Amino acid sequence: METLVQSLVSGVLTGALYAMIGVGLTVVFGVMRIINLAHGEMVMLGMFGAFWGQALWGLDPFVSVVVWVPVLFVGGALVYRFLLRKIIPGGELNTLLYTAGLSLLVANLALLLWTGDYRTINLRYAMSPMRPFGIAVPIPLAIAFGLALLITGALYLFLARTDTGRAVRATSQNAEAAVLMGIDVQRIAMLTFGLGTALAGAAGVLLAPSLYLYPTVGEILIVKCFVIVVLGGLGSIPGAIAGGILLGLVESLGAVYVSMALKDGIGFVIFLLVLLYRPSGLFGVGKA
Amino acid sequence: MRRAAPWTIGAAAALGLPLVVHDPFFLHLCILVLMWTLLGSAWNVLGGFAGQVSFGHASLFGMGAYTTIMLYLQAGIAPWWGIPIGGVVAAATALPIGLIAFRLRGPYFSLSTLAMAEIVRLVALNWEEVTNGPVGFLITDLPPVRILGTAVNWEAKEPFYLAITLLTLLGLVATYGLKHSRLGAYLVAIRENEDAAEAVGIDTVRAKVLTLALSGFLAGLGGGFYAFYFRYVDPDAVFPIALSMEMVFIAMVGGLGTVGGPLVGAVFLTAIGETVRARFQVGHLVFYGLFMMLAIRYMPEGIWGRLHRLVAGRWQGRGVAAGGPRGAA
Repeated sequence: METLVQSLVSGVLTGALYAMIGVGLTVVFGVMRIINLAHGEMVMLGMFGAFWGQALWGLDPFVSVVVWVPVLFVGGALVYRFLLRKIIPGGELNTLLYTAGLSLLVANLALLLWTGDYRTINLRYAMSPMRPFGIAVPIPLAIAFGLALLITGALYLFLARTDTGRAVRATSQNAEAAVLMGIDVQRIAMLTFGLGTALAGAAGVLLAPSLYLYPTVGEILIVKCFVIVVLGGLGSIPGAIAGGILLGLVESLGAVYVSMALKDGIGFVIFLLVLLYRPSGLFGVGKA
Repeated sequence: MRRAAPWTIGAAAALGLPLVVHDPFFLHLCILVLMWTLLGSAWNVLGGFAGQVSFGHASLFGMGAYTTIMLYLQAGIAPWWGIPIGGVVAAATALPIGLIAFRLRGPYFSLSTLAMAEIVRLVALNWEEVTNGPVGFLITDLPPVRILGTAVNWEAKEPFYLAITLLTLLGLVATYGLKHSRLGAYLVAIRENEDAAEAVGIDTVRAKVLTLALSGFLAGLGGGFYAFYFRYVDPDAVFPIALSMEMVFIAMVGGLGTVGGPLVGAVFLTAIGETVRARFQVGHLVFYGLFMMLAIRYMPEGIWGRLHRLVAGRWQGRGVAAGGPRGAA
């Protein structure tokens, strides 16, 4: 029983961070039909941001979110404006391959700059886990969970309540109709790509104290990310959140009750089954 | 057959190269270029001609590599038999993958192949009784062979060079044959508009599955050669996502749906990649990414396609010949 609760808790904690990465990918897909293969590298950049922030300036990784989110937002918007925008008319496969190129470029630049060594971030206040009700909760993961809820919640309010947020959702539902309603779709796309990048980067910053960081970590994350967004239905934000939590739970329960080694495989099998039998996602809201 | 002459001369020159060049590093580079040409061609058959962009070809390459090395170490079957068997096993592996993935289209096809390649990698990593898990397999000695009375020196590069030249020529001839066959025409129709192809009576599933089997066979040959040449196989070496991507990039940068494209792409990218590797040890794929982006933006028909168009344009005395990638050889 305790094992079950323990794995449920750690599943939800990790799942919330997966959800955050997934939301970034799915928003971008919704608005501009790009499956961004470089999304994992954006998470990686966030992780290294947190690492260097601490190593060079003594900045606490969780505080450094306020630095890296704006930086990555602007970076993402520029990538869209100067690189991706010209590719989009070529179709979904072209942008998929283009972002594959971008992903390899960024990961290998990071390898050249920072070598392939595994690094960790140690926090003095987080050496031993909290033990509420006898369940071990790693402190970095708990803080990351709280901040992830906060950031994802803020994004949700932005999309639900503000005019710009409504414009993003409108573009996502029907880009042509959005143009007719006077929405500057190009501006919305740029903003959305910036948001997606910032979300991925923020998730990276938050995850950094809990994971090993190395330049090719994005490769693993992006595959998980596909599982998440396809589970929830491509383009659906609530779907991505549910998908993220679900994957977190599947992995942590799978690690305990199936096998540590095969837990990643379970996600892929579910992914294939959903693609084949429920292509619009488990909740039937996606656009696959 | 106007085109046959330059190709024949090229093939003869490639086979004769070790008579002139003896520098081991240069031969090693040539071996890598030819191996990647073969792998790029394997991917190109499916991705370039049929328009089915696979992100999972490393699984087929790895099946060939594991088959070859395991047949040799555990059954004593020499690699020159193991490599073609590896090709057949890879082709057989491709079939169930195709049955699942071909139910999806466009980016969803690509993502499903990526997921299946990862599943294959995880199985190879964890099924230790069969695959040795992360430890993999190592060949210490290759079997002694005498050709025309002289013993083959397995420490030299020449025998491997000749082997990969023959395999790659086979790959290029197969691509040429496919391009000029009825099946090749079906594939182009499928690439351009799958529904229309089906509407005019093409059995699209059959055409795609046949092509995938050919693609898998060539990738398996490449994997088998890898095991034979590097004498070491483990899951991270032969099943990584980056390896699938390298095949995609070589075919794209060289020229999608062309016979010579993967050769040009492999010469160009491998030369750059190995230079970076020699200088920095890591990050050798940095220019692959960069040139992929540049190619999609400025040269979607690839280097070979662009060169072909320029040459064809000059011959015909016009600026631009018809067709771009479709018109290229």
